[in-house]
Amino acid sequence: MNELKLDVKKEKKAHRSQSGLNILWREIVRDKLALVSLIFLAVITTTVFVVSGLLDLNEIVRVDLFAIYEPPSENFWLGTDYGGRDIFGQLIIGTRNSLAIGFAVTLMTGIIGVSFGLITGYFGGQTDNMLMRIVDFFQILPFLMVVIVFVAIVPNYGIVEFSLIMTGFLWMGIARIIRSKTLQERELDYAQASQTLGTPRWKIMFGQILPNLSSLIIVTMTLNLAANIGLESGLSFLGFGFPERMPSLGTLLSYATNPQTLENRWWIWMPAAILIFLLMLSVRNVGEALKRATDARQRRG
Amino acid sequence: MWKFIVRRIIITLPQILLLSLFVFLLAQLMPGDALTGLVDPNLDPAQIALQRERLGLNNPWYVQYYDWITSALQGDLGQSFRYKMDVTDIIAQRLVNTFWLSLLTLIFTYMIAIPLGITSGRFNDTFRDQMIVGYTYVGFATPLFIFALLLLWLLGFNFGWFPTGGSVQPGLTPGTLDYVLSKLHHLILPALSMALITTVSTVQYLRSEIIDTKQKEFILTARAKGASESRVYNRHIFRNSLLPIAALFGFEITGLIGGTVFIERIYSYPGMGLLLLESISQRDYSVVVAVVLLFGIASIIGALLSDIILSLVDPRIRIK
Amino acid sequence: MTSSKMAKLLFALMLFLLLAVVGCSSGDDDATGEDETPVEEEPGDEEEVEDDGIYSIDDFDPVKTNEGEAISGGILNFGLVSDTAFEGTLNYNFYSGNPDVQVINWFNESLLGIDENYNYTQDGAATFEVDEDEGSITFTIHEDLNWHDGEPVTAEDWAYAYEIVGHPDYEGVRYTQALSSVEGMPEYKTGEADSISGIEIIDEKTIKFTYHQFTPSLLASGVWAYPLAKHIFEDMEIGDMASSDAVRQNPIGYGPFVVESIVPGESVTFVKNEDYWRGEPNLDGVTLRVINPSVVVQELENGNIDVVDSFPTDQYPENAELANVEFLGGIDNAYTYIGFKFGSWDADAGEVVVDPDAKMADVELRRAMWHAVDNDTVGQRYYNGLRWNATTLIPPSHPDYHDDSIEAPLYDPAEAERILDEAGYEDLDGDGYREDPDGNELVINFASMSGGDIAEPLAQYYMQAWEAVGLNVQLVDGRLQEFNTFYDRVEADDPDIDIYQGAWGVGSDVDPSGLYGRTAAFNYTRFASERNDELLEEGLSEDAFDIAYRQQVYSEWQEYMVEQIPVFPTVYRAVLVPVNNRVHNYFIPQVPGLGVYRNEIALTQEEPLSVSDVD
Repeated sequence: MNELKLDVKKEKKAHRSQSGLNILWREIVRDKLALVSLIFLAVITTTVFVVSGLLDLNEIVRVDLFAIYEPPSENFWLGTDYGGRDIFGQLIIGTRNSLAIGFAVTLMTGIIGVSFGLITGYFGGQTDNMLMRIVDFFQILPFLMVVIVFVAIVPNYGIVEFSLIMTGFLWMGIARIIRSKTLQERELDYAQASQTLGTPRWKIMFGQILPNLSSLIIVTMTLNLAANIGLESGLSFLGFGFPERMPSLGTLLSYATNPQTLENRWWIWMPAAILIFLLMLSVRNVGEALKRATDARQRRG
Repeated sequence: MWKFIVRRIIITLPQILLLSLFVFLLAQLMPGDALTGLVDPNLDPAQIALQRERLGLNNPWYVQYYDWITSALQGDLGQSFRYKMDVTDIIAQRLVNTFWLSLLTLIFTYMIAIPLGITSGRFNDTFRDQMIVGYTYVGFATPLFIFALLLLWLLGFNFGWFPTGGSVQPGLTPGTLDYVLSKLHHLILPALSMALITTVSTVQYLRSEIIDTKQKEFILTARAKGASESRVYNRHIFRNSLLPIAALFGFEITGLIGGTVFIERIYSYPGMGLLLLESISQRDYSVVVAVVLLFGIASIIGALLSDIILSLVDPRIRIK
Repeated sequence: MTSSKMAKLLFALMLFLLLAVVGCSSGDDDATGEDETPVEEEPGDEEEVEDDGIYSIDDFDPVKTNEGEAISGGILNFGLVSDTAFEGTLNYNFYSGNPDVQVINWFNESLLGIDENYNYTQDGAATFEVDEDEGSITFTIHEDLNWHDGEPVTAEDWAYAYEIVGHPDYEGVRYTQALSSVEGMPEYKTGEADSISGIEIIDEKTIKFTYHQFTPSLLASGVWAYPLAKHIFEDMEIGDMASSDAVRQNPIGYGPFVVESIVPGESVTFVKNEDYWRGEPNLDGVTLRVINPSVVVQELENGNIDVVDSFPTDQYPENAELANVEFLGGIDNAYTYIGFKFGSWDADAGEVVVDPDAKMADVELRRAMWHAVDNDTVGQRYYNGLRWNATTLIPPSHPDYHDDSIEAPLYDPAEAERILDEAGYEDLDGDGYREDPDGNELVINFASMSGGDIAEPLAQYYMQAWEAVGLNVQLVDGRLQEFNTFYDRVEADDPDIDIYQGAWGVGSDVDPSGLYGRTAAFNYTRFASERNDELLEEGLSEDAFDIAYRQQVYSEWQEYMVEQIPVFPTVYRAVLVPVNNRVHNYFIPQVPGLGVYRNEIALTQEEPLSVSDVD
């Protein structure tokens, strides 16, 4: 979708590379909603990472037979689940885990996708044709099925393993976008000139074209971040997420499949639902502001 | 044009073959097989071992794959161990359900997206537009399964407006009007809950398309020539913005596939998504492989459709 | 700009409100509901319930109490609780899974009746005479027993079932001990013989089976009593039968109801069989629907379904006061247990090989582990008393054989520590965990299955309990195993597994040799001893036809297992079935020998009762 839109638009921004990041920043500061969202994200991220460092995971996932399904109280700020485990602690650690996965997957897919896109786009022709078939193939792979199988065969299934699996099958989107942009970019004067001057290809790719694509990459990755956080919770809901000893927002949400929990024990799933909602909304707000910044006509002020 | 389509199809064939190999290998890697679940002291383990031998489950994977692919090429996808039926028959049963679910979802998606997108694009930055944008934001941030659970609980149980599981009321004769109506009644809630969430991207896209188009020169020209505002919108802007939307149609299909897995599980709607989940947990490999392959083919076709529509719309994208 | 922010905030707020409504409203409903309906039960029960939210299976009846006057006719709505579709192999001779048998039971039944201990009675559609000397049983099928199409059920149909299921080409899983114990059956199965020597058709309704080993098990549900309609199946290839219309679309039986229509995987409608041999059913028909476990309660509340095959017990406490249903309860013939690995399975020899050096070979260690866990509290806290501490390996669902006088180790952490100290398990390096008697580090690897209602916290609890007495128990791979993986690894005697948590449904026959015998592949602990062999053999001996003797043998066996502890049972469980108040004569099918039959089920009114009707 993004690809289309970006293709059709702008032909005129090659000279903006220096100020590109500046424009992004200015746009965010101008859009109060995006600014608030960004601050919210930063605060939540710092909080969960700091607080979870102080919490003892073993203490939180410790089962207490005499505190099952406690509603929120002084002892348990957000009550307990069916194992008598504190929801508040799980929420903090769960948010941390979900964010960690989101960031890790976004970063890794970003690196792979950008490099892949740059190479296919810059070389073009036969190379492009061949490499794009690989992308095509990955895109028709049934992501869900693959993850389910990996859950079954990977021992010690954890954040790192999960992120790697997700990355393995999610890098194609960004690769496509970067490729089509690179195809246009390499035809522009500056790239052609460098080539004539005999600058090594990798230098042109990573030293000249890449900076010109930086704002596009940031926008795409921001929007991917939201999607990746959402994916994890979906998998947990289907029962292919993390073990309960390693809580995530998805595991907490999936407790809502028990109708009694959905109806009568809001404290288990609703905080996670609200948090995931706010996180995705904030990431989205920031992403939209960034996207506007890359499009001069929609820029504000 | 035809050359392009034929070329695309030729490219997809090896992809499908590779996909089948990949899926087959994955299935082999999964621990256990269709007989592992039969942990029942009333059954004779020696018989189970015999069954395993008979079904060829002890053969090396390449032998199994060879057996499978040779018969698959002749249209025989094997037997489901669990259902004791031809895989093609089970899939035929379930595919119908998923087809109607997807169709209705698509209809709802566009029924919601087109008016909202047009309103929002035409009157952008008005209150109406902001409401619609607000909706798309919320829709974007709400996980599909939570939304579906809430709708099921609210409309299905609390108000009792819709049935809460299955695809048709028991005891009706297929082909009668009652039967069709009952099917439709069972479809509305699942389709609606999926459409309400998935439509947001289409709304957003349509909106920005229209905003783009209305600044284009031919629109300005049309206006300058004195065409009425509604004529400008209906004849020029809408038509021009709709084609790119149509190009997205193929991708919608891919999106639907993922969505049906969730929706069918929540509404106990016996379609392909539910069949996949069931077969995976029961290790009914012949079904798993066939369903995944079918999903793969559906998304390939989706992408193909999109490319074709796209090249019709925008000659620049046409593949040389 | 401002309006955009407003709109977004507004939407966010609306969503919050929606969530809040969902979260709270029903909670209020339930709260008031509980206050308002002090249900007309005996006051004793009620007090107990209100005190601590702990229930006891003794307070449940397996048969519905009837209130009001029954009408004739009406349609019963039956919910088949399952999160998968039913397969649709609707014949006893071909099915493989539980959902299907729930469907079959409405239109077909075993020819033989059973009592509360699963022993055959003369109340079924076939009666029998035993000839112990010859080792044979002669069965006579009821005169009026006809298939739904009017053809009589004959001795030939019964023999036909043996011929098909025992045939070398048969592809199902129903060929078991019940068939192979008939003389000449093994030869027929391997294709060496063309006919089965142990089956003799005496006349149209009489048949004699001769057994090569005549054991008491035979009379405790050890006979395959499910005839196959020969006049329908005889023209088919054996390989095609299971997928034929006669199994999938128009299945045939001789039970109280006749299949009218089937929506594959989701629902079945039945009409009554006026020709049913016990008498014409009261109901006009039955509608069966697959119900997802997550919506059972709502469907019951609304009266959309009258009964279900079994109710998820974890949802019971919140719904104990549902006003429009009565909960029936019975003891399930199953138990959960912790198993210890003793060795491996020798597939060629077909028997277990005990490894005397196995990590868990020390009985004192096993006993200490039993003492360390508090199963009564587990049952009360996690299952609200609907599961309770188990003592022996024959559950109370077999009342004649379960010996409740046996004293099994109880929760006593101090005793556990004492045993461990004495046996030489001491913490030498001060890390808080005990080392084994040789001073080596002791890490016990625990395998447990995922997917149960409370699988994760339960496994966690056991590990904590063992940790409390100084034992270092770790989950295999640090997580629960998915069902197929779990059995794959336990079955293959994966060396990474030292102990595991499993559950067994005990068969209708009390004989445990299929689970604990030396030659049983399902003997997952791979425990064997001469004494064990001896006792198991004794239970199947000729002397054991005397019930009192058999009881004594199995009592000794239970005691022996409590001493040796190859496994220890953790909890027994209850099965609950909610029944709408308009239903009469419903009974829990899982409890044997109640003497109530499906044709007697009746309704008091055409329309089901919903909760709001009752309030």
